[in-house]
Amino acid sequence: MLELKGVTKRFGGVQAVNGLDISVAENEIFGLIGPNGSGKSTTVNLICGIYPVTAGEIVFNGKNLAGLPPHKRLRAGIARTFQNIRLFPNLTVWQNLLVARNSMEDVHSQSFLARWLGETRHTRGEIESILEFSDLADKADDLASNLAFGEQRRLELARAAAAKPRLLLLDEPAAGMNREEVQDLIHRVRGLRDSGITILLVEHVMQLVMNVTDRICVINFGQKIAQGTPDEIQNHSAVQEAYFGTTAGDPD
Amino acid sequence: MEFYFGLAQIIGIHVILGLSAYVLMLTGQLSLAQAGFFAIGAYSAGILTVLFQFHIVPALIIASLVAGLFAFLIGFPALRVRGLMLVVATIAFSEVVRLFFFNLSWRKTIDGIEAGPDSTNGFREIRFFAANGWEPYQVTLFVWLFVALVMFLIWWSDRARSGAVLRAVGEDELAAHSVGINITAVKVAAMTAGGMIAGIGGALYAHTATYVDHLTFTILLGTFAIAYPILGGLRSVFGTLLAVVLIQGVLVEGLRALGDWRNILFGVIIILTMNLKPGGLFDTQTVQALRKGLAFRDKGAPNA
Amino acid sequence: MEDFWIEAIELTQSVIDGLLFGSTYALIGIGFTLIFGAMHKLNMTYAAASIAGAYVGLVVFVFFSAHPLLVFAVSSLASGLIGLLVYLICFRFIPVNNHLAALMATVGALFFIDEVIIHITNASPLAFPALFGAASFDLGAVWIRGDLLFVFAASVASTAALLYVLYRTRLGLATRAVSQQNVAAQLCGIDVHRTNATTFVVAGLLGGIAGAMTAASVGVLSPLLTLPITVKGLIVTVVGGLGSIPGAIIAGLMVGAAENVFLYLRGVNERDIYVLLLLFVFLVFRPNGIFGKSINRD
Repeated sequence: MLELKGVTKRFGGVQAVNGLDISVAENEIFGLIGPNGSGKSTTVNLICGIYPVTAGEIVFNGKNLAGLPPHKRLRAGIARTFQNIRLFPNLTVWQNLLVARNSMEDVHSQSFLARWLGETRHTRGEIESILEFSDLADKADDLASNLAFGEQRRLELARAAAAKPRLLLLDEPAAGMNREEVQDLIHRVRGLRDSGITILLVEHVMQLVMNVTDRICVINFGQKIAQGTPDEIQNHSAVQEAYFGTTAGDPD
Repeated sequence: MEFYFGLAQIIGIHVILGLSAYVLMLTGQLSLAQAGFFAIGAYSAGILTVLFQFHIVPALIIASLVAGLFAFLIGFPALRVRGLMLVVATIAFSEVVRLFFFNLSWRKTIDGIEAGPDSTNGFREIRFFAANGWEPYQVTLFVWLFVALVMFLIWWSDRARSGAVLRAVGEDELAAHSVGINITAVKVAAMTAGGMIAGIGGALYAHTATYVDHLTFTILLGTFAIAYPILGGLRSVFGTLLAVVLIQGVLVEGLRALGDWRNILFGVIIILTMNLKPGGLFDTQTVQALRKGLAFRDKGAPNA
Repeated sequence: MEDFWIEAIELTQSVIDGLLFGSTYALIGIGFTLIFGAMHKLNMTYAAASIAGAYVGLVVFVFFSAHPLLVFAVSSLASGLIGLLVYLICFRFIPVNNHLAALMATVGALFFIDEVIIHITNASPLAFPALFGAASFDLGAVWIRGDLLFVFAASVASTAALLYVLYRTRLGLATRAVSQQNVAAQLCGIDVHRTNATTFVVAGLLGGIAGAMTAASVGVLSPLLTLPITVKGLIVTVVGGLGSIPGAIIAGLMVGAAENVFLYLRGVNERDIYVLLLLFVFLVFRPNGIFGKSINRD
């Protein structure tokens, strides 16, 4: 459903991503891993439209995304989370979810004025169920900045889910989490997939990547160096060298 | 009594001016163009009632739309830039508007008297209220009707999704863009709404003052427009109201006995407020505390 | 044909005058840009502080009939001191990430300084000693006013001094370190507050000279000067590219020249309309200024 064909991104003289080909299938959890500075976050930013690609194309559901700004890509069904949490700190939890309801379905099923001003019972019900799923129901009226770290991470995930995406880009969602929190995240990511969402997971934390993904692509210096199932990747020599060889074991 | 009606009118008009800046400030942008929109509203409404003998209400509505149109038109190019750039771009726009009216001369003979904008000499014959026999209390009520309307509309949309969307853009543009908000559209919409509101303020001002000239609409007026919401805090429209009452009511008019010392005091108060309450008088903590205090429930949470 | 030459010569004359006077805009622009570079914040008090410095210089002149150069030195020192005070009351104790509060506090300080001046002088303009009042240099078709030449020379000298401080001294190194990598600079043991305060003082010293020069070339000192100079300073800062000193210099000269050309072509009433329209177009289509990097900061 998502295809990157020869995607390249240069910043000045720096080649951040170089001729990357990725193909993510419907309803799979696809992992994108690589050492620091290997171009993972840049890839996420290219897919969701924050940077334009220098060369190559990104095709989503058969549609070339070139030139679409981020908000239109969201409507097309691509949502994301951020590596360093970027909630709206002075909005309440409820408002954080409310502003994110910009899916094609939401945009077209309601009149402009109704969307601008109103919370229909339908909207309210959907937000409530997302809050329930994210264990944030009792925090609805709290400011996002007053949440604990784990709750903020859950809210980021919930906010992305509120846009009813078909593809969810998770940019290092486990950064800074302890072992239990990662376990909790694994359940949530699986739950999202079971509800029909395809997931592209960019991650450092091996506990998460190896447990939850169907397929993994390893990149280094902006290029693909290996692709396969978690088992295959774990035993891949180039990967051992580029990734596990250079880091002191499992970072978590 | 006359004095208090006059004061109430000034306060009302400045509340409208402050709120016109408030709307765009929710999206995190600072515009010094409000004085320009205010001037456009003042001159348009004045021209309509004096030269074309319009009633005040349609004149005011048209003036608001004209100011809004200008805000919309300059919003597109101007909002390509942000922060300090936008401040300077809007200063430029506001000054261009002022200098346009400084040079504008459009005289016509109405009922045997020559009237209309007379470039440097200003626009002196805006006498709709007096000519139609409105009492001062009626004029004051008329002004506050619009103050109430504008305040209510902003307060209401701030509680709805629209307020959250504006504030989301103000807090983190990139994140807002990524959750599907068209930030350019939101900012231009806010600028347009601000322009329309400033236009109403200008139209009311021209008719209560009966005389306007370009010196009314300097950068200083634009600075006041942003000063009210910053001092009052961007959490609530009532902060702006409070700031205007304090500055215009207490400081400028109430402490007349102090002579020009009150202007010096004005600077001191601004500096002190910003040091002691950087988020304004009605900042996040204050508003949260007030809401809790009043047991006021904002949104229908599941376990409400 | 003859008319054309007269036109051309007069136009050249106005460009020259404009460039020379533009050097005061450049100085004010450098001051704004220095402070912006250090703190990424706007100091709206800056031009008012410069004018206030010139007033202190005037006091020395009126009461002690000091030498004009001493007047300049006192103006500069006074403005530097005001710069320090402004830093303390408008920046030092306001949270770093609250740009609006700091901006508003400097607007408050601007009102305060303006009103104190108005209170003391009863709002009437005061004569300021002109240096080289009538002297001028004839260059054939065009001529150069002596006072403007002095203004220009003083601007060049102060800019050179500033660049020396910034690039050849330890203090300058610290200033540049803080402006580029605030946190890293702190970790290296640089006292950020002290460095920021120093930047304000240095910018103030520069501003005092600019304020005295403006007053000297206009011939009077008046609180009415602060608002236009503030606006010109902001324009120069932005056109030059935020934080760029060479940009501010070139932009200052450009604004000075453009102003005089439009004054010549369209008269005093319409001059600013064209300058400002030009600025608006420039800002929108070249938002990073002449030498600005591709940043879009608040």
